[in-house]
Amino acid sequence: MFEKVLIANRGEIAVRVIRACKELNIRTVAVYSKADASSMHVQMADQAVCIGPAPSSDSYLRIDRILSAAEITDVDAIHPGYGFLSENAHFADICESCNIRFIGPSSGAMNAMEDKALSRMLATKAGVPIPPGSEGLVEDETVAKETAKKIGYPVMIKATAGGGGRGMRVAHNDVSLIKGYHAARSEAEKAFGNSGVYIEKFIENPRHIEFQILGDGRGKIIHLGERDCSIQRRHQKLIEETPSPFFEKRPGLRKKMGKAAVKIAELAKYTNAGTVEFIVDDKGNFYFLEVNKRIQVEHPITEEVTGIDLVKYQILIAMGEQIRESQSDFLAPKKYAIECRINAEDPFGDFRPSPGKITMYYAPGGKDVRVDSHAYAGYTIPPHYDSLISKLIVTGKDRREAMDRMSRALGEYMIEGIKTTIPFQQAILQDPNFRRGVYSTNFVENLLGGARRELIEENA
Amino acid sequence: MDIKEIKAVLDLCKKQDVAEFELETKDFKIKLKRGNEPSGSVNYQESVSAPAPIAAAATPVAAPVPADTGAEIKSPMIGTFYRAPSPESVNYIEVGQKVDPETVVCLIEAMKVMNEIKAEVSGVITEVLVENAKPVEFDQPMFRIQPL
Repeated sequence: MFEKVLIANRGEIAVRVIRACKELNIRTVAVYSKADASSMHVQMADQAVCIGPAPSSDSYLRIDRILSAAEITDVDAIHPGYGFLSENAHFADICESCNIRFIGPSSGAMNAMEDKALSRMLATKAGVPIPPGSEGLVEDETVAKETAKKIGYPVMIKATAGGGGRGMRVAHNDVSLIKGYHAARSEAEKAFGNSGVYIEKFIENPRHIEFQILGDGRGKIIHLGERDCSIQRRHQKLIEETPSPFFEKRPGLRKKMGKAAVKIAELAKYTNAGTVEFIVDDKGNFYFLEVNKRIQVEHPITEEVTGIDLVKYQILIAMGEQIRESQSDFLAPKKYAIECRINAEDPFGDFRPSPGKITMYYAPGGKDVRVDSHAYAGYTIPPHYDSLISKLIVTGKDRREAMDRMSRALGEYMIEGIKTTIPFQQAILQDPNFRRGVYSTNFVENLLGGARRELIEENA
Repeated sequence: MDIKEIKAVLDLCKKQDVAEFELETKDFKIKLKRGNEPSGSVNYQESVSAPAPIAAAATPVAAPVPADTGAEIKSPMIGTFYRAPSPESVNYIEVGQKVDPETVVCLIEAMKVMNEIKAEVSGVITEVLVENAKPVEFDQPMFRIQPL
């Protein structure tokens, strides 16, 4: 039983983890940079330790400082949240060697899927289809050209250590391939400290469908259903929903993909919470993309539909508990949930980040409305971190009710002093194609590029 | 460079907390120095607004003391603060003692490693702000010092 847990993160996810700990009667330690001194997670935790100046590289990514904070507060475990050090096997290792439990997969499981190239090989071993691509990393231009020729254009050049949609380039011919190859490598080196790239067939306008998995380290791995995350702008998710409208007429596909997700997790001996990502083309062919070895931003929609508290489960599994539910509990969803990620960005200003002081804040409420946020009236959003300020999650008995509820809730949400993506998400909720459930990952670009600007402006 | 440009550079220096700025081109040379910084203070210009209390407010690991006159020596790391090299030794420094930048003022222990912390400024110690063997966090004031 953990008595005290340190949350090595910030913002809304830190608040989320603190809430789960409180409900489990576990005391909490927040760490914060100087820029986050007045942040919500610092207020909510039982103890707080300042770990550095604003830049993440000097604070939230400082393994030494986080471990020192863990040491002086004498915690039993660390929850890494998402991003930052959550998928850093080295960090997981150091925690364990300091006798501090890392709430997440073991470093062994992380290393088995340490990078995307390795994960692809694991998927192939599990008999799960992957997008045709290079065998491992692409070492030079010649190999790049040969690979592209073999699999056929268009292709995608991807950073093996990449994440969050970064370090990717699409190429339609040899010229853009060479350019993209070098650009991707240098971008990857700068962003992730690893210039390794591989090449994959670029499947145009796929849907992005991922499965939540849970492993208890005692041999049981199950999935808790899918999330459709196709509504993205520049590979950043904006709206997620479960179940996926794409499965409505294809129940067999859900079963097949769910089985594939669990199979990959089993091969990697995965423990704790994770997500297996797939892309699906319009014919229903699916391909494995990668495994995210952490709790994900959009986890609340799975929680609302299944009734399972995923963050609590992470902590319980780390404490040695078993998974009590069976796979059959999660094969046929009985509710519908949608999440909007509300970012401090200006949808009329090319989604330019809009940090600053929130002067007025009123969050929506009512039946089946959930707000996961660290924002409050008077809070100043610092410019140093990501722009996510709130997640608005609604649940309905079917998709129609969920959409209507989301539109209603978005209309109630008042955030003044900064710009937010709310008007844009309202426009999406009214788009006829979105409402019919007919969309893929090019949906947002089409919406922005097309004659729909007036729809966005109407909602501002 | 005209007066408007010089003012813009000065404003930028102030905003970015740059104390000295020197620029030399083919046509001119300019050197700007801001004169109102207290010497020896560790400069983090973020003004921390008071947190809005919700339920039980979080207790910082070691309560920060409001800044007075003079400067402060702040902790560059997280760990446990010790006034002396060992339990049997005398303290590194006492109130009233003069220090220079190389003077070791305390030990901070983190992950079983002892780190000697230097004063980094010249001055006279006026107050000790942390108790021996208590935890300190990043940037926490440990000593008040009257700079010389």
